[in-house]
Amino acid sequence: MNDLLAVWLVARKDLLQEARSKAVTVATLFFSAVTLVVIAFAIGADTRLLREAAMGALWVALAFASVISAAQSYQADLEDGAFDALLTLPVPRSAVYLGKLLANWGFMFALGLVMLPVTLVLYGAEAGPHWPWLVPTIGLGTLGFALIAVLYAGLTANLRARESLLPVLMFPVVVPILLAAVRASGSLVGLADVELATGWLLLLGGFDLVYVVLCTAMYGYVVEE
Amino acid sequence: MTTNTNVRWDRPVWMKAWAALIVALFAVGAYLGLVWSPPDVNQGNLIRIMYAHVSVAWIGFVAVGLTAFFAALYLWRGKRRDDVLAVASAEMALLFSSLTIIGGMTYSRPTLNTFWTWDAKLTLTALMVALLVGYFIVRALVDDPVRRGRVSAVVAIVVAGSLPFNYLAAEWFRTLHPSRAIALDGSGVTMAPDMLSALLFNTVVAGLVYAWFMVDRVRLGRIEAQLEDARVAQEAVPSGKRGVVRV
Repeated sequence: MNDLLAVWLVARKDLLQEARSKAVTVATLFFSAVTLVVIAFAIGADTRLLREAAMGALWVALAFASVISAAQSYQADLEDGAFDALLTLPVPRSAVYLGKLLANWGFMFALGLVMLPVTLVLYGAEAGPHWPWLVPTIGLGTLGFALIAVLYAGLTANLRARESLLPVLMFPVVVPILLAAVRASGSLVGLADVELATGWLLLLGGFDLVYVVLCTAMYGYVVEE
Repeated sequence: MTTNTNVRWDRPVWMKAWAALIVALFAVGAYLGLVWSPPDVNQGNLIRIMYAHVSVAWIGFVAVGLTAFFAALYLWRGKRRDDVLAVASAEMALLFSSLTIIGGMTYSRPTLNTFWTWDAKLTLTALMVALLVGYFIVRALVDDPVRRGRVSAVVAIVVAGSLPFNYLAAEWFRTLHPSRAIALDGSGVTMAPDMLSALLFNTVVAGLVYAWFMVDRVRLGRIEAQLEDARVAQEAVPSGKRGVVRV
């Protein structure tokens, strides 16, 4: 079978499954909305403070949502042994990884685009004149989260205490993603400074590039048996 | 079953000699740092913490790099020895980076008037500790030795790969740390030759400590592996005929 076709088929399977059950959509949508509200309560009623914290809150919500999304995509497969069947496909394991990555990233990207206006409204911030730049920022940032989340969710899927283990493993690795994404979108929304944002976007892109290669190459060792 | 005769249980003589040499060199390094080297123009005697702090930090980063190197070797060749080396190096990396944080905090309290700053290098080292702890948690959760080796090797490589990005991000984010060890006091004055040689001597000693613990940990790892094999062999024997594994 053509490897690229396999990538697409795995991604399509995950997305189709989600389109029918809507389990992750409902969970992540409400989870990130609640996270945004809770952070806003924790910050307090100071409108200036809220405006400045807007992008930080958005990325925290997205980071947590990416954990749920990646863990769920394995959970559904493991429940009826479908994952073992998936691994018997005569294609490289990396094709399975890229397929799952594609589905998770697509989902997270869409979630980010939905949550962005919600954040701006809730926190009273304005997108500013350079708002189109926020789209690639969300794209690169959610790709970084999805890369690590899909790899580590596969690693922890068979282990005890996976619910707490996945964020413990994943968050220290994605700290540069979180920092760069918050800084990039913060400099677009607050300061309207595209040049400052570009530097951070390059860091995001570099991280994504290195980890696409690393994770794809190593996925076979993570999910064997 | 029987005691396995091809394993030496006690530490060989040359390792004891090496340990004695390290203690002696450590004393020399302490003398160089505490007495022989001059006090700093700006920081006075506080600079003497630097000799212990910087040398340990450097070796800690080398240890993380070597962990990933041995992990990659394990994925490539699948030899158990590489896994043992990777764990040994990871343990030393955890020890050295914890010491780096303690050293950094003792150093920054009197000089920067705070125990903790979100400084690039301090943040990076703290993240390194968190990442290494994750590595050991994963190891503890997987029972099958081959799978444990592979899974933790993947974690080690991901960890090492994230360090340059963590460094860049933290550095751009905000930094208070003296810019580089060679331009030490932040005012751009290069390090005095005496100070540099004292620092390098201490680094070599820290490297020797690392190497000694690596060799000793590999020795222990080999004994552990033998013990694990003996246990597995014993499980295969019907329960009525089981003896005691002697170690």
